[in-house]
Amino acid sequence: MRVWRSLLAAAALSAVLAGCGAEAPSSGTPAGSSGPWSFTDGSGQVVTAERTPTRIIAHAGEANALMSFGIRPVGIYADEPVATDPNLKDLDLDGIEILGEEWGKIDVEKAASLRPDLIVGDWWPAEKAHSGLEEGVDEKSKKLAELAPVVGVSQGKSIVELAEGYEDLAVSLGAKVDDPRIAANKQRFDEAVARFKAAVAAKPGLTVLAMSPADDQVYVANPEYAPELLDLQSWGLQVINPDSPDPAFPYWENLSWENADKYQPDVILWDGRSFTPTANAEWGAKQPTWFQIQAARAGSVVAWPAYWLHTYGDFATELDLLTAAVEAADANIGA
Amino acid sequence: MRTTATRATADRTARRATALAPGLVVLCAALAFVAFLSVTLGSRSIGLAEVLAALGSLQSDGTITSTVTLDLRVPRTLLGILAGAALGVAGAVLQGVTRNPLADAGIMGVNQAAAAFVVFAITVLGVRGVGVYVWFAFAGAILAIVLVYATASLGREGATPVKLALAGAAATAGFGSVTTGIVMTNVDALNELRFWQVGSLAGRYAPILVGVAPFLIVGLVASLAFGRVLNGLALGDDTARGLGQRVGRTRAAAFAVVAVLAGAATAACGPIVFVGLVVPHVARFLCGPDYRWILPYSMLLAPLVLLLADVLGRVVGAPGELQVGVVLGVLGAPVFVGIVRYARLAEV
Amino acid sequence: MPTTTFSAPSPTVGAQAALRATRRRRTRRAAVVTTALAAVAAALFVVTMMVGSFGLTAVEVVVSVLHLREDPAVDFIVRDLRLPTATTALAVGLALGASGTIFQQLLRNPLASPDFVGVTSGAGLAAVSGIVFLQAGGLAVSGFALGGALLAALLMYVLAWRDGVSGYRFILIGIGVLIFFDGLTGYVLSRAQLFEARQAMHWLTGSVGQAGPEELRLLLGALVLLLPTALLLQRQLRALELGDDAARALGNRTELSRAALLATAVVLVALAVAAAGPIIFVALVAGPVADRLLGPAAGGIPAAALVGAALLLTADLVAVHLLASPLPTGVVTGAVGAPYLLWLLATTNRRGAGG
Repeated sequence: MRVWRSLLAAAALSAVLAGCGAEAPSSGTPAGSSGPWSFTDGSGQVVTAERTPTRIIAHAGEANALMSFGIRPVGIYADEPVATDPNLKDLDLDGIEILGEEWGKIDVEKAASLRPDLIVGDWWPAEKAHSGLEEGVDEKSKKLAELAPVVGVSQGKSIVELAEGYEDLAVSLGAKVDDPRIAANKQRFDEAVARFKAAVAAKPGLTVLAMSPADDQVYVANPEYAPELLDLQSWGLQVINPDSPDPAFPYWENLSWENADKYQPDVILWDGRSFTPTANAEWGAKQPTWFQIQAARAGSVVAWPAYWLHTYGDFATELDLLTAAVEAADANIGA
Repeated sequence: MRTTATRATADRTARRATALAPGLVVLCAALAFVAFLSVTLGSRSIGLAEVLAALGSLQSDGTITSTVTLDLRVPRTLLGILAGAALGVAGAVLQGVTRNPLADAGIMGVNQAAAAFVVFAITVLGVRGVGVYVWFAFAGAILAIVLVYATASLGREGATPVKLALAGAAATAGFGSVTTGIVMTNVDALNELRFWQVGSLAGRYAPILVGVAPFLIVGLVASLAFGRVLNGLALGDDTARGLGQRVGRTRAAAFAVVAVLAGAATAACGPIVFVGLVVPHVARFLCGPDYRWILPYSMLLAPLVLLLADVLGRVVGAPGELQVGVVLGVLGAPVFVGIVRYARLAEV
Repeated sequence: MPTTTFSAPSPTVGAQAALRATRRRRTRRAAVVTTALAAVAAALFVVTMMVGSFGLTAVEVVVSVLHLREDPAVDFIVRDLRLPTATTALAVGLALGASGTIFQQLLRNPLASPDFVGVTSGAGLAAVSGIVFLQAGGLAVSGFALGGALLAALLMYVLAWRDGVSGYRFILIGIGVLIFFDGLTGYVLSRAQLFEARQAMHWLTGSVGQAGPEELRLLLGALVLLLPTALLLQRQLRALELGDDAARALGNRTELSRAALLATAVVLVALAVAAAGPIIFVALVAGPVADRLLGPAAGGIPAAALVGAALLLTADLVAVHLLASPLPTGVVTGAVGAPYLLWLLATTNRRGAGG
């Protein structure tokens, strides 16, 4: 009881004084430059503090991004269990407080005791909110924003822009991006992009389609709403744009299984959330029309990192898989 | 008094029989026609000639038209016929055995109970595959029917429609809470359940058909034997006993048959409401109170309704599909309300 | 229902004295029980604010809520984090309890609560459709829920209106409407891709933690306004139903009072659903529990409302703090309430009063 009592007092104080930066940086954490700090949030707002924030609470993917630049948050909140979150499952989270593992539920009481001086979450332009603070979450969770200023990079049209944005944020927080171990990620990414572009250029006419098969119908992703697919398109890959997305959910076009063969891509990008090495064979056995898609029959499928990428390193890894799939693909499978 | 009334009924039934037997033939023809529609119409437009060619070859030759016809539409249609018949007959038997016009597997909470058991099987026992789900769905179905009927029939006036419906609503809510509690923490189960939540014939192919068909066929054949005893029960338990029936045993057997039929249909297609409730009323309207006619009529009328609704959903929803459960819900609710408003509920 | 069964006794002097004595006893019992219930609800209200990631003492909570002393650490946790949730639980419980008992009294059936005659489902369907198809949020969702509940109630009132609102038909049609709405809700959810459906799912599971300040203010305002209105209407209705000829001549007025009282109950339940999502069984259970406590003074709306509040606060405590992994409040009330409803059915049947 007594121990946290003093912590709480400080926490509440920091809540009251958030943004003024009146709190001294805690000892033990490496303080970056101690001068005034500012960052332009995805919403366009400039957030300032008198000192560089050091006690950061971040949303899952954003935490991954910061950690890839050597900035370690004190707390993380996620939308699903850490063990399954693609951004978090391979990270060493020792000593980092987990504040939530379900969308809409953040333990703000625990968050307050961490005395955060910055909250980091993606900015969603369509919803005009940061990750975890959107419409519909528990009212209590929204109080997270009262503990400290919230900043984030805008989600939108490109994972590269997202990664660059978090690089900027990390630099402002004192990250040493020139450290060879950190810079290696970006270098790996640049090389991966170069290889990818070369592979795509070598296969003119190759088309791919991002799909998510489900028991009742097949979902075809609309690249307009998938930043990583837009990136791939910008590097020359022909990701097919479905011609009649669901008006209520423009993220996807819904195809009945009878119409599963509507598009005939050369490679299928399979929703990574449901992809397994045996998934193609399983669905072929389960859905008689799945193998009517020639690419599926030929086994020309590859995981698509759907809607989660935040870092150069992860993107590089995924990109290498895609490059291999493109190189192995036969541009004449599909129509 | 009673003997006169009974004899009058018997006469009427005898007169009707001459009209009812051909009626069954007509219904068979109508069902065959709708089955034909179900094979030829769909969210993908395939020419009639191509469909016939595919049907004629009997073996999928790997083309999309042949695959869609033989591997998608034919099993789907057969499942629709079997599941529809099962739901219709289950409803008729339930209404007869409980003497309750609102007795229906859906209203009695069978769907949610089956769903809760299936979800439990997925999450806690790690079970996969329809072949295994079926058994859990059965267990849930039996539990719901016994629980709801037993609760409702406690007390002097027995299982009145209101008590049955309320006990069913309670079971639905209770099992629903359990289901929600489980799936909240398990994305896999939530995914399976979403597929399950709305009754549908889509995505149900030969393996599912083969998995549940034996149960459905056995249940349907067995149910036909209940016509006479249901007629006896309709006169009241005491009269039935007077006629030499073992009422308790009859009721138990009937519930078992209903659980097999409704459980298997629900396991295969998810919750499909209103067919089991409404079709027996239509059958009763057509053939009078004799269950020896009501049962076969329900058995033919219900798949007719189910397949029509399914075809409608496929045509209206193209290039996607509208689940048959939704079509039936939208069309069936007004009929249900009509029954409640205008039918004299005491008379079954 | 006991509330509607007492009739005017013959006016002999002795009987009048006895009647007065009975009435006095009844009033006293009602006062005692209601006060005790208020104390229980208040205690639970405070306890809810004591537990969490950090425990607080009752004194700290009360001092902070009443602004008796400033302590920023405690104040942030109590006033900013816990007070809104606790207030929501209290207000939603009061609204559900009051509305449930009104439904039950008007329809003369202990089983006729708004969650079982389709009103709650109507609100749920409208809200989920708003979220999924129109990307609605905040007060808009409340608006949809309110509209859905009113529409469902109106629909049933119209459909069930044959020679007045017969309780029996009303309930059956309500259950039909309920199944209809729930089916459509399932359809709406199945339309949403899993990962986009989370807001709708979240809303639909029912949790007192999700109410925003606007919804809460709206609900509190409605409670302040509608609870006294309901009491007045109930008193008026009782007088009309006492059975003398003068009152019978005012049959139209009786029907009007009944409709007004029912409307109050619908608005209360709709706003409760709007604030916390569909939380089932509280409305059903509160009335009968209160009546059992009240004994001869059964039928009191304040007592039922307080029981509702106590139940919901307890359910929330269990849901959020006592279980290994926190669950939505609605799941707990559902899991506990379903057996209760079955038990209620079984026992009222034995007395021959059910259905």
